[in-house]
Amino acid sequence: MWAEWVQQIFLGIVGLSAGVAVAGGLFAFIVELGVIADFADRTHTGEKILFYEDCTALGGILGNLIYVFGIGVPAGNAGLGIFGIFAGIFTGCWAMALAEILNVFPVFMRRARIVRYMTVLVVSLAVGKGLGACLFFFQGW
Amino acid sequence: MASEKGTLYIKGSRDVEVTKPDVTLGDLLSMECTDRAVLAKIRSLKLLKFKKSGRQRCVVSILKIIGRIHEVCPSLDVQNMGEQDIIVTYEDQKTPALAWHIAKTAFVAAVTFFGAAFSIMAFNNDVDVTKLFGQIYEFVTGESTNSITVLEVTYSVGVTAGILIFFNHFGKKRFTVDPTPMEIQMRLYENDIQTTLIENSDRKGEEIDVGGVGAADISGDRRT
Repeated sequence: MWAEWVQQIFLGIVGLSAGVAVAGGLFAFIVELGVIADFADRTHTGEKILFYEDCTALGGILGNLIYVFGIGVPAGNAGLGIFGIFAGIFTGCWAMALAEILNVFPVFMRRARIVRYMTVLVVSLAVGKGLGACLFFFQGW
Repeated sequence: MASEKGTLYIKGSRDVEVTKPDVTLGDLLSMECTDRAVLAKIRSLKLLKFKKSGRQRCVVSILKIIGRIHEVCPSLDVQNMGEQDIIVTYEDQKTPALAWHIAKTAFVAAVTFFGAAFSIMAFNNDVDVTKLFGQIYEFVTGESTNSITVLEVTYSVGVTAGILIFFNHFGKKRFTVDPTPMEIQMRLYENDIQTTLIENSDRKGEEIDVGGVGAADISGDRRT
């Protein structure tokens, strides 16, 4: 009886610490890449930044609950579509922000001495990402 | 005219937004001088003139501003306590459509909400926390389990607490007086943009400086 309680409490501590560590790491990764600051700046809604933080926090909390406890969300195909488009936009921006923060583009531009046709590069990057995603899903990889 | 004595202290911030096409020094700078009359005169000095319509932006060197002051008060000692280059943005202030603003905010809110939900699920899926929880549970208690254990519950509590501690607020309620990480990011991003704007216009030679503008003013050193 005693040993069982100790085990449960130990597991509880492990779970709690794991959760805090994961949340800190993942959300630092999202915020420090500046994706959301970018969104707010692009749309000129900088004064709503605290609201966006709430949305991010709420999304993280609910998303985690839904995943861990396998909660069913009866939203239908329309709900899935909404989730898909917004999650896709977010992931796309995130991937690009990661490349940006790691200075991938400036390094390549300098090495290859590219000074013009930046727009072509950006468009081909986006099309490539989209095609890659399509290939991945339609091939069932 | 050359009777002004004393020192004029000027301080400007790096990024100024104006709504009138005629920009005076008072719009760009805060200033202090012992001689009130001089202060009022210099405040109303015209520096720039934008075209009436649209959004325009230019970068003004503080030297140009000091030069403009010296045109009027040659003997005045001017001390700059603020930035050396000032970005002036003129925007024809139409009342922004509220519906459009709300739509944009709703869009960003949806992207951040679903994006964050997707990210945490993608992470959980990637490291397969369900399996890992089962393994830890079996390691500690010696029994395998397929149902929800204390680990899932405390992990979720932990994730929630971690997110709220990290963002340092929920809704209007702040946990400490520090700015939140997102506010800091926002400022950093703005700073980067301002630095880029100033350096771009300097490199292209578009900055309004003493060397480039006004043919009589050839004594000014062009910066390279």
